[in-house]
Amino acid sequence: MSAISIKGLTVRFGEVLAVDNASLEVGDGEFVSIVGPSGCGKTTILNLLTGLVPLTEGQISLLGKTPVVGNPDVAYMLARDSLLPWRSALDNAAYGMEIRGVGESERHRRAAGLLAEVGLKGFEKHYPKMLSHGMRQRCALARTFCLDSPVMLMDEPFGALDAQTKLQLEDLLLKLWSEHRRTVVFITHDLAEAVALSDRVIVMSARPGRIIADMRIELERPRSVRALQHDKHFLEIYARVWEKLEEGLGNQAEVMT
Amino acid sequence: MSKTTLRAVLPHLVFIVAFLGIWEFVMHRQWLPETFFGKPTGIVNYLWEGFITGRKLWLELGYTVTGTVISFLLGSISALALGLIFVMFPKVEHAMDPYLMVLNAMPRFALAPLFLLWFGLGIGSKIAVGTSLAFFIVLANTVAGIRGVSGDLVVLSRSLGATPRQVFFKVTLPGAVPVIFSGLRLALIFSMLGVVGAEIIAAEHGLGQTLSYLQSTFNMNGVMALLALLACLGMLVTRGMTRLEKTLLKWQ
Repeated sequence: MSAISIKGLTVRFGEVLAVDNASLEVGDGEFVSIVGPSGCGKTTILNLLTGLVPLTEGQISLLGKTPVVGNPDVAYMLARDSLLPWRSALDNAAYGMEIRGVGESERHRRAAGLLAEVGLKGFEKHYPKMLSHGMRQRCALARTFCLDSPVMLMDEPFGALDAQTKLQLEDLLLKLWSEHRRTVVFITHDLAEAVALSDRVIVMSARPGRIIADMRIELERPRSVRALQHDKHFLEIYARVWEKLEEGLGNQAEVMT
Repeated sequence: MSKTTLRAVLPHLVFIVAFLGIWEFVMHRQWLPETFFGKPTGIVNYLWEGFITGRKLWLELGYTVTGTVISFLLGSISALALGLIFVMFPKVEHAMDPYLMVLNAMPRFALAPLFLLWFGLGIGSKIAVGTSLAFFIVLANTVAGIRGVSGDLVVLSRSLGATPRQVFFKVTLPGAVPVIFSGLRLALIFSMLGVVGAEIIAAEHGLGQTLSYLQSTFNMNGVMALLALLACLGMLVTRGMTRLEKTLLKWQ
């Protein structure tokens, strides 16, 4: 059974057609990235999956259920770290569990464990202001992986980081994902990131957002994102996906003229 | 006292001693009229009599401080409550906004005659003026503080399944505290300002009333002493609030 199934999804914002008849299946435990030019509706799809945007046309099923806000099956991660500035790293990592009613000692134990896994051991008592951008996003990763949600929705989680830190965190994400095995839908506009991380890359066209390619990434796991940067096979796949993306952009050029 | 603090304080100490010395000397030689400027020994004398031998100033200080504290509490609690109502029901804010704007634009001391008539010469009218000042400051900061809370945090919490109540207590309120707090600090100072100002206009007691009485009887030593006292009081208030802020808002 697929973890996520989207059929004939169409989204309109007033007169604007944002997503046009998109269909997508994501398998259990699969890592799927959605790439596309900005405004192609990739974040909209994610917001529909979280239930934050109501479904109007088409069908979405998430582990057999209709998406709803606060669904415990889903863990959501945003581009900005969105840590609570008045909470320590430990309490931030535990925040998701706190909302979901996990007992205090249990959530502190788990949060401390995850903080150690993301390399923040010794920073438990630090407030977000005292942490670097990379460390804050590590803490947000810990918060996300602390939840037992089988599905993770990530909206450009590393979009605001510098190139070096980004590579480190991508490797960290792969490590966490291989250890905790979840279904991931990962939104990004960074093609290299999508190819390096994913099992499949979904390419969307410029508005109206259509799915124009669904490419399986045949790279062995475990992968090292840093090592991949110079891997010939990786660069070939990257070039192929890029071509598809260009086609989508060409579509936009036509629309605009 | 450590060596570095001594080094920092010493120049000020020298300056103040020199300033007071020259002042005293000029008055002693009668180069300037004492009725206009007072003199340091006279000021100390006045304070000594007021606080140590006579104790009359304790009473006046008590009136002013009590008025200030009550104004501050009344003004900020009601403003916090209304601010929350405004955020929860924007329509209420929309409806009340023009009236509040007019009230806030009005110089509050101009209302003092009215308040004196309604609440009498006693502490009631002073509290009314102080409260009316504190209220608007805290109201504006409460609304701005809550509106300024990051939308990301709210979205994240909602996606985690937080109830509106949880969002309010775990995100909105703590997120608004810094802005509300700076409003509270200002409100405390303005409460004092309102109370002292109203006392100067007409009162039976209080530092403002005493100040105005001393001025009308040309007791410049007393006037200077009270000015110094009010400055100290204001500084104490600001210091206290800053310290409280530092412990409450460690994360900033």
